[in-house]
Amino acid sequence: MHMFLELLITGVMLGSIFALVALGWVLIYKCSGVLNLAMGELTLIGGYVCLGLYERFVTFMPLTYAFLLALLGTLLIGLILGLLTERIFLRKMIGEPILAVIMVTVGLSFFFKGMVFIIWDTDTQVFEPRVFPIDPVNIGGLTVGQVYIWGFVAALVLMVIFVCFFKYTRWGLSMQACADDEMAALSLGISAKFVYALAWGIAFMAAGVGGTLLGNINGLNYSVSVLGLLVLPVVVFGGLNSIPGAIVGGITIGILQNLTGGYLDRFFPGGIKEIAPFVFMVVFLLFKPYGLWGWERIERV
Amino acid sequence: MSSYLPCGVYMESYLADQRWWRTPFIKGKMIAMVILLAALPWLVDSQWLSVAYTINYYILAALGVQLLVGYCGQITLGHAAFVAVGGYCSAMMMLYINWPAWMISAGLVYPITIVCAGFAAAIWSVLFGLPSARVKGFYLIMTTMAAQWITVPLVITQYVSQIGGRGQSLSIDPKFIKVGPWTIDSDVKIYFFSVLLVALCLIAVGNLLRSKYGRAWIAIRDNDIAAETMGVNIVIYKLLAFFVAGFLAGVAGAFYISALFFVSPEHYEWFYSLLWVGIILIGGVGSLQGVVFGSMFVVVIFKLLEMSVLGASDALMESYPGLGWMTTKFIFFKEAAFGLAIIFFLIYEPNGLAYRYWQLKNYFNLWPFSYTGK
Repeated sequence: MHMFLELLITGVMLGSIFALVALGWVLIYKCSGVLNLAMGELTLIGGYVCLGLYERFVTFMPLTYAFLLALLGTLLIGLILGLLTERIFLRKMIGEPILAVIMVTVGLSFFFKGMVFIIWDTDTQVFEPRVFPIDPVNIGGLTVGQVYIWGFVAALVLMVIFVCFFKYTRWGLSMQACADDEMAALSLGISAKFVYALAWGIAFMAAGVGGTLLGNINGLNYSVSVLGLLVLPVVVFGGLNSIPGAIVGGITIGILQNLTGGYLDRFFPGGIKEIAPFVFMVVFLLFKPYGLWGWERIERV
Repeated sequence: MSSYLPCGVYMESYLADQRWWRTPFIKGKMIAMVILLAALPWLVDSQWLSVAYTINYYILAALGVQLLVGYCGQITLGHAAFVAVGGYCSAMMMLYINWPAWMISAGLVYPITIVCAGFAAAIWSVLFGLPSARVKGFYLIMTTMAAQWITVPLVITQYVSQIGGRGQSLSIDPKFIKVGPWTIDSDVKIYFFSVLLVALCLIAVGNLLRSKYGRAWIAIRDNDIAAETMGVNIVIYKLLAFFVAGFLAGVAGAFYISALFFVSPEHYEWFYSLLWVGIILIGGVGSLQGVVFGSMFVVVIFKLLEMSVLGASDALMESYPGLGWMTTKFIFFKEAAFGLAIIFFLIYEPNGLAYRYWQLKNYFNLWPFSYTGK
């Protein structure tokens, strides 16, 4: 029971990072209808950019400020990269068939991965000196690593900021309007191009923070992009166009991954932890193809 | 998409229109192609011969993807899993079945394992095609992706490769790689064997596509609900498409053993699943010629890239020793270039190379009044 609770609580915390990345994914899908398979590479880029900035900043300022400043820089660079990506590659694909758009994001993922590994090497890199203290803390008898707690807090804060942004700001409202009914939004003077660009910018920012947090947990290497790819089971579980679905789905997949890692690893040694979400996704798709809160599509012939 | 016929050539029946060789010119072209393929080993050196059979391997693998994506509308991003099943099935059969000596010397073992590999991969493919009965589009992409993640990193790397404790890659005794009286041991023989397989598979798929099955697949691709209302049993035909595509993947996987003499999970990574979809996008979706053009384009471009990057780094290394990283990171250059190639083809050449070839054919067929309005 003790082990179960420990796995559960780390799972929730890890899952909140997935939820953050999935939020970015859902946003792109809601606003522009693009199914993005490059999410793993976006997390990878974010992680490496933050690491690079952090290593520069930490030489001349205290650790906390250096990390916060690096995170801010990651957000800024993420926003710029997102706007550029949308402008250069995705804008030309508006209205193209689904396979073409998906394959453009696959092409993007190859391109980004290649560039990341050309610039930074494939060896595992860690945040040095460590940002979060290594010794775990005790919460009511359960030992949890500090990096998980800080990751959880950061992910929560960012999610709250994003949700407030959608609900209360002018730009957020225009994004909601565009997701709801693009034609009506266009006729009311909302620029769809601006909304698409904003969605990509925000997705890059969310993925960048997610990548930074994941990189703090295990170190940065290719496996971060595999973790970033876990957003796909998350969004399938929650429903492709549901923001609450992304959050609930992220936490569920985090818990599922940790529990299978903790309990099934001794029966199926090897990569069961990475595979379990995908197996779960296939089974789930057979019974509830539109996820928990996704819109069911009714087709006309 | 058949091209315009020259002036004065017309067909009187559907049968005549669907023939393989509709005009003597096409027949001549085909004979010229056969002569060229047969003469290739004497025209190029062994380095480019290996490029040629790699092209053939990619054609075999991408043919199944083309069948699923281009003709049946079922998007798959996990085809490398089925190729892996084929490769491993063939390898395991050669390693663990006690073949009688006369079968080995008669060269029956390898052909038998190729057929079995095809069926094994086909069954595995149908298993992951089952969700296509209920879902489509993005959700089907997810299940085929899951096929990749379940098959290659988990089942094959963790379990199948561990049988017998040989480590990750399974080496094959070259004496098994024998087809009839020919032992496949040189680049020339691998090349001819690959040409034979590709020709057989292309003819088989081409024939399937002009039959009842092909027409049903195309109906499903164009609109599955409309096809269902017209009386096509879409579940059966979708699964059949997965079966045939899986079979082709299995044959491809089993063929590639003859080129490598071993199997290893790294040849079946997700990269290859995406590569084969990229090949049909570059070549042209919904066209058998597209598979051939796409494979040729991708493999030749990779080869040229390799030669130029490695050549450039060799030349530069003497004056700038710091540039050695270019050689070690070549694979990432390749990936980035491939990603950009897919994107630019999709944006600027969405019909692929096969469309350009079609335009070229029409230009000559309609010459001197070549303007077709396109």
